[in-house]
Amino acid sequence: MAEIAQSLQPTVNSDSLNRSKKTKAKIFRICMYALMVLIGLILVFPYLFMISKSLMSREEIASAELVLIPAVPQFSNYLQVVQDSGYIEAFGNTMFVIIFNLIAVPLSATFIAFGFARCKFWGKNVLFGFMLSTMMLPAVVTQIPLYSLYNSLGWLNTLLPLTIPNITGGGAIYIFLARSFLQSLPKEIDDAAKIDGAGPLRRYFFIGLPLCKPIIIYIMINVFNSNWGDYYGPLIWRLNDDFPATLAYRVFYTLTNSMVSNDMINIRMAAGVLMSVVPAVLFFIFQKQLIEGVAMDGLKG
Amino acid sequence: MYSTASSPDKTKNGEYRGEAAPSPAAPRKYSKLHRFWRENREGWMFVLPLVIGLGLFTAYPMVQSLIWSFFNYTGIRYYYPVGLNNYIAIFTSDINFWKVFGNTCFYAFVSVPIVLISGYLLACLANLPYKGIGAFRVIFYLPCVIPGIVSGLLWKDMFSTNGIFNQFLALFGAHSDFFLSNNSMVAISSIFLMNLWSIGGGMILWLSAFKSIPVQLYEAAKIDGGGIFARFWYITIPCSAPMIFFNIVTMLIGTFQYNGTLMLYPPNGEGYQNSINMLAVYIYNEAFLGLRWGYGSALSWVLMVVIGIVTAGLFGARRLIAGKED
Repeated sequence: MAEIAQSLQPTVNSDSLNRSKKTKAKIFRICMYALMVLIGLILVFPYLFMISKSLMSREEIASAELVLIPAVPQFSNYLQVVQDSGYIEAFGNTMFVIIFNLIAVPLSATFIAFGFARCKFWGKNVLFGFMLSTMMLPAVVTQIPLYSLYNSLGWLNTLLPLTIPNITGGGAIYIFLARSFLQSLPKEIDDAAKIDGAGPLRRYFFIGLPLCKPIIIYIMINVFNSNWGDYYGPLIWRLNDDFPATLAYRVFYTLTNSMVSNDMINIRMAAGVLMSVVPAVLFFIFQKQLIEGVAMDGLKG
Repeated sequence: MYSTASSPDKTKNGEYRGEAAPSPAAPRKYSKLHRFWRENREGWMFVLPLVIGLGLFTAYPMVQSLIWSFFNYTGIRYYYPVGLNNYIAIFTSDINFWKVFGNTCFYAFVSVPIVLISGYLLACLANLPYKGIGAFRVIFYLPCVIPGIVSGLLWKDMFSTNGIFNQFLALFGAHSDFFLSNNSMVAISSIFLMNLWSIGGGMILWLSAFKSIPVQLYEAAKIDGGGIFARFWYITIPCSAPMIFFNIVTMLIGTFQYNGTLMLYPPNGEGYQNSINMLAVYIYNEAFLGLRWGYGSALSWVLMVVIGIVTAGLFGARRLIAGKED
């Protein structure tokens, strides 16, 4: 609200009345900056604490006293994470899942959305309504039968449950977003291509897909974030401890089974810091798309 | 229908060109069914993956879970029908259910307003036209970017007996068990405290809502003498209502299925004396650790009905409010 007050402040006037207003605005501005710095510090503090903790030695971790900053930063903690075969393997698994989904989800979601936005067919509205209603469906209801299904398919203890279901659109919300986006584009391009004899697949791959770029970026960021931090999926679709762990699951596993790994909290914190760097960098780069993407999904809902 | 739908796309280009000319002359050549097929096959081809996905990964498991909820089923040995007994047991003889249910409702109904209100206040700050505001936005959003499991690890450590929060409380001679407490209110409130660090998510939501509201509206209201609250109530809220409503619905559905306690109190997420046990985690424990698939299915349908009622209530409330404004 205050931004309006700011924008309405005339900057050219020189009489004293405006000057007192100006100093008032200046004080207000300083206060707001101070408040923002304070909130920023509070919000960032846990993260800084985590970095500090990841650099502590074993003794500092074990001591009952509060150590805020390590006496000698132990960068070897990070080396230990990077050299740990468990983490390396988990990283490989995570990357496999993520790369597969980064390709599969945007492609299948826009493919299905193209059908909804550009084709007429029998059962379209019913199917679309059913798809939307699955957004309201708690995933908990389907997980027990899915476990049984994956078990009979032999998918448990593999990465398949985390990847294969995503070739069917990867979630109603993405299809819905891509459809809204496609509908906002002029239909004439598509009709022109149709008259020129382009088949549906060609229209999708050469016209629809390239136009969907902004929404594809939004989908990709979200897919990355949700898969990067997902520990619940691997937790459910496992049969025993031979499960090919993803990075998030590996961290969860060391939490639950502190006996199995001799990782101390500082090593786990180092792994955590490394894990959070990637999404943070992604957010720095794609800030604008994310904010606009949220706006998009709301306005048409 | 599904298995054949993918085959004709190869010949489609050829057919289209070939049939364009003779079709007015010989429309009777094709049966009605054939024409129906030709009109629809293009769309069906595009949505085929969705139909398979919804059928295999949504509709089938739903029906199966509903069926299992009437059975005593452990996944391997026992499989016999018990009728409604699973449901009756949930509401009458299950000693944990009401506690877990209360926890879930408390968590969901308090957590969503906290996120919305704190997110709104933060968004107002982050919307100021100051220099360097973009950097502040990134800092505010940073805690949300950190993967849930990592922040679980972090907060578990900060809330521990000798953790930083207790060291701070010790300055005042106080001590708290946080989510290790046997008091649900304390334990769940410490989850709220943890969630407060990720209010950046709510901020992003409101920021994008602000972005879609024309500035002229505010200026006009200001000239007419509308104060801050009037502007918020008559401009911000109505203009961003559809988006906020959509987000409240999805947030509530999400929080009713909250399973983050699994990492705060591993391995079963129950907390001390069920203090932070919530429905989704309870179902996980019943089904995957306790191997009671029938009972777990019944519980998940109870959760689904609860979510359905809440969602329906929200839609009803929206209709009521929207109707009053007209």
